[in-house]
Amino acid sequence: MKGTYLGEFEEVVLLAVAIRAGDAYGAAVVNEIEQQMNRSVNLGAVHSALNRLQEKGLVRSEMGGISAERGGRRKRLYTVTNAGRRALEEVRELRSQMWEAIPKTAWS
Amino acid sequence: MASVRPSPPRWATRLLRLFCAPQRLDELEDDLDELFQQRVEMEGLRQARWRYWRDVASLMRPSLMRRQSNDPAYRQYPTPSYTDMIRNYLTVAFRNLARAKSYTFINIAGLAVGMAASALIILWIQSELTYDRFYNKTDRLFQVYNRDKFSGITQAWETTPRPLAPVLKQDYADIEDASRYRPTTFILTTNEKNLSIDGAFAEPAFLNLFDLPFITGNPRTSLSEPAGIVITKSLAEKLFGTTQALGKIIQVDHKDSFSVTGVLDDLPNNSRFSHVSYLLPYTYFISSGWGSDDWASNNEYTFVLLKDEVDPVITENKIKHVTAQRLKGVLDDVSNRQIFLHPARKWHLFSEQENGSLVDGKIVTVRLFGLIAAFILLIAAVNFINLSTARSEKRAKEVGIRKVAGAQKRSLIFQFISESVLLALFAGIVALLLIALCMPLFNTVTGKQLSLPFSSIDFWLTALGFVLLTGILAGSYPAFYLANFQPIRVLKGTLQPVTATFSPRKGLVVLQFTFAIVLIIATLVIQQQIQYGQNRESGYDQNNLLFSFLHGDLPSHYDALQQDLIRSGAAVSVSRSLGPLTEINSRQWGLSWPGSTKADKDIEFDRFGTDANFLKTTGAKLLSGREINVRQYPTDSTAVMLNETAVKTMHLKNPVGTTIHFHDRDWHIVGVVKDFVFASPYDPVNPVVVTGPGSPIGLGWTSIRLNPANTLARNLETTEAIFKKYNPAYPFAYTFADESYEAKFADEQRVGTLTSLFSGLTIFIACLGLFGLAAYTAQQRTKEIGIRKTLGASVTSIVQLLTKEFIYLTVIAFVIGAPIGWYAMNKWLQGYTYRISIGINTFTIALSSAIVIVLLTVSFQAIKAALINPVKSLRSE
Repeated sequence: MKGTYLGEFEEVVLLAVAIRAGDAYGAAVVNEIEQQMNRSVNLGAVHSALNRLQEKGLVRSEMGGISAERGGRRKRLYTVTNAGRRALEEVRELRSQMWEAIPKTAWS
Repeated sequence: MASVRPSPPRWATRLLRLFCAPQRLDELEDDLDELFQQRVEMEGLRQARWRYWRDVASLMRPSLMRRQSNDPAYRQYPTPSYTDMIRNYLTVAFRNLARAKSYTFINIAGLAVGMAASALIILWIQSELTYDRFYNKTDRLFQVYNRDKFSGITQAWETTPRPLAPVLKQDYADIEDASRYRPTTFILTTNEKNLSIDGAFAEPAFLNLFDLPFITGNPRTSLSEPAGIVITKSLAEKLFGTTQALGKIIQVDHKDSFSVTGVLDDLPNNSRFSHVSYLLPYTYFISSGWGSDDWASNNEYTFVLLKDEVDPVITENKIKHVTAQRLKGVLDDVSNRQIFLHPARKWHLFSEQENGSLVDGKIVTVRLFGLIAAFILLIAAVNFINLSTARSEKRAKEVGIRKVAGAQKRSLIFQFISESVLLALFAGIVALLLIALCMPLFNTVTGKQLSLPFSSIDFWLTALGFVLLTGILAGSYPAFYLANFQPIRVLKGTLQPVTATFSPRKGLVVLQFTFAIVLIIATLVIQQQIQYGQNRESGYDQNNLLFSFLHGDLPSHYDALQQDLIRSGAAVSVSRSLGPLTEINSRQWGLSWPGSTKADKDIEFDRFGTDANFLKTTGAKLLSGREINVRQYPTDSTAVMLNETAVKTMHLKNPVGTTIHFHDRDWHIVGVVKDFVFASPYDPVNPVVVTGPGSPIGLGWTSIRLNPANTLARNLETTEAIFKKYNPAYPFAYTFADESYEAKFADEQRVGTLTSLFSGLTIFIACLGLFGLAAYTAQQRTKEIGIRKTLGASVTSIVQLLTKEFIYLTVIAFVIGAPIGWYAMNKWLQGYTYRISIGINTFTIALSSAIVIVLLTVSFQAIKAALINPVKSLRSE
C-alpha cells in the first residue's frame, strides 16, 4: 500500500508536528527541528515532506485564524492524524524491538 | 513598527511569486518572512538573507509548484500557469502546420537547406579563422619577413638569411627566443619500410615557440641531440606500427641514422605545420654543408617569440635594418632592405603580398563566403516571410478573436515568433541531418576535414542560438504584420490583401532573385575564366611528359640511365633539367647584356636549365638559332636560350651569337624559343633564360618524353625498372606534366565548384518559395479564373496572366543584380593578368536561365489552375 513507508526526514517532521501540537505550521516546524536536532533545514524540504505526509494521510491541515503578527495572512496548521500516530508508534516499537535483540556481547 | 523591520531580498520573493503555485503562495511567504525575522535577530542580516535565498531555491520543486491538488480546499484558485498559454500557442501552431502540409513542407525544406548551407559555410569559416591560433604563445609569435624594392616595386618575401635568428635573439632584449626552420623532403627508412615524406629542420627553440603536443619525449631536449628525430604519431604508426617509438632508429636519405627522441600527437589541420611529419635538428642541416651563412642568401624561415607585453611595432622598428646593415657593400643598394614581423594569427589568412605588405590572401574568400552564408540564410528566411504574409488571411480571424478575448499585441507577436522558432527548430533538425549527409562531399570539395562536434556543449548552444536567430529573423516581420490586424475589420470579413504596386512581398522576391542572378553571373564568369586559362597555348606538349628527381645514385649513372630509357623504347627523348617545366624553380637577376643599363639588373628572369634535347623532350618550338646540345658542342655548357619575351625585354636585334653576363661568367646565346607557360597560366609570360649545364645550380631533375606508341602503363613499368636498376634504394617517384598543369587550376576549380554549388542551392530555395507563392496566388484566384474561362478566356491567356508578374519581377531582379554581378566579378578578375572580359553573353545567359527557371517553377501551378473546370471552381457559390 502506498504511503506506509516513513522516511527518516518524514519521521522527524512528523514528530515536530506532534511536539507543536495545535501550532504546527511550516516555519514553526523548521524552528522545532533546528532546535531539537541542532541542524539547519530548508523550508522547501519541510514543506515537501509535509505535503507527502498529507498525501499519505499521516497529517491533515486546516487554515488557521488570522494573526496580526503575520500581516493578516492565514497560516496552514498541521495536526497528526490517528494514522500518523500509529505510524510513529510502529517506528518506535520497531526500534526498541531491534534494540532488545542486540546481544550484550556486541558492545564489549 | 513595520518600517524599521529589515526586508527580505526582493528578487527572491519575486522569483517565488513567479514560480510557486498560487494557492500556496500566502503560507510560504508567511513562513519565509517569519523565519527571516527570527534569523535577522539570531544570526544577522547577511546570514538571514542568504538563508532566505536558499529557502526560496529549495521551494522550487515540482511537488510544490503543481497547480492543483486533490484537496477540494485548493480548488478555489483557477489561476492558469504561465505555461498554459504557451501550450495553447503550440497546439494552434501544430494544427496550422498540419492543415497546410505543402506550405509546411516548403517552409521547412527551404529553411533546412538554407540553414544547412550556411552552417556548412560557417563551419568552414570557423576552421579558416582558427588557423595557428592554438599555440599557447600565439599572440607573441611572429615570422620574420623580408622587404625590398626592385625596379621601383616593393616586394615582401618570407625567407631570410641563416644568421638572422641567432643575431635577433642575442642582440635584442625584446625577443625572447628565435628559431630557424627549413622544410624538407627525405626518404625515411626503417628495417623494412621506405617512405618519402615531408618534414623540416628546426632548432630546439622551435619547440619552445610552438608548444607542439608531445606524446612521449622531452620537448626541451629532443631536438638538442645531434642525432635525434621527432616524429608524429601517424608517421610512427606508419614506420613502426606503434606510437611507442622512443629510441628506435630511422635512417634518413639512406645516409645518417637518427634515433627517435620524441613522438608528437598529430597536428591539427588548422596548423601551418600540419603537413610536417618529422623534425630534424637544425644542426644536422648545417653540419651537412647545406645552405650558407651568407647574409645575401635568403633561404631560411625565421620565427621569433617576443617577450610578454612587448609592442611588436616598437620591436619591428628596432630590428628593421638588421639585414641591411650587414648587406652594406654586398648589395648595390640596401636603403630599402628591411625585415618585418608577421603575426601568427595572420599567417593563414593574410599571406599575399601587395606592394611589400601582407594585406590580403584567403581572408577575401572568407569574407565572400561569409556574405554568401548570410544571404542564403536571408533568402530562406524570406521564403518564410513571403509565405506567412501571403497566407495571413487564414490567420486573420484567429488574430481577431484573440484580440477580442483580450490578447495584447505583445502576446500575439510572441505567439507568431514562437511559431516560427518552432518551425526553425524542425528545420534545424532536418538541417543537422543534411549537414551530416553532405559533410563528406563538402570536405572533398574544400579539401578540409570538418566535422560536427556533437559532444561539445558549445556546439549545441551555438546550434540553438542559430535556430533562434533564424526563427526570429524569419518570424519577426510576419509577427508584427499579423499582430497589427484590426479585429473589427478582420472579423467583419473585409480584410483586403495588399494590392499596392509595390508590396514588400514583391520586394522580397526581387531580393531573392537578385542574389540568385549575381551568383549565376559569378558561376558563369568563373567557369569561363578557368576555361580561358586551360585553353591558353602552353607552348609545350604536356602529354606523355614526365619529370623525376635524380635521387641517390642516379646523377652518377645518368648517361647509362638515359641510354637505357631510349633503347628500351619507353622514352623517345630524355634530358636533364633544372626542375619540372610546370613550375618556376629558380629566378635570376643581375643580368647584363650589350646595351643594358644599371636598372636592368633588377629585372627578374625565370630560369630553366637543360643539357640537350630540350625541344624534342618538351615539345617547345624553336624560333631562331639552335638548341643547347652539350653532347655535340661541349662549349654549350655556357650556352643559353632565351624566350621571345626575354628577347623583347633585352631589346636585342640579333640575339643569336650575343654574349650576356651573369653568375660571374659570360654566356652565349645560341637560340630563341617560343614563349611557353612556365608559371601560372593566368600570369603573363616572364622573360626566361634556359642555361646549359655549366651553371652553379645543378641539373637535378630529368624530363622524359614517353613513347606515345606504347601504353602509358607499359612505359611506366619499363621506366621504373630502369630507375630501380641504377638506384635500388629509392622508390621511383615522378610527376606528369599534364597533371601538374591541371593542378594549377585547382584553386579556381574549387571556388568555381563552391560557387556553382551555392548558386544552385540559392536558386533551389528561391524556387521553393516561388512555387509556394505561385500555388497560393493561383488558389486565391480560382474563382476569377473560373469566371474568365466561362467568359471565353483561353488556357494560354490564363497561364500568361498568372506568370506575367513573376517574369516582371525576375527582370527587375536582373536589372539590379547584373551591375552588382558585373562589378564583383570584374573585381575578382583583376586578380588575374591573363583574363577574360565579361561579355554581353554572360548576362544574356544569366537572364534567360533565370527566366526559364522561374517559368518552370511557376507554370506548373499556373497550368494546373488554368485547366480546372470552371464548373468545379464556381460551384460552391
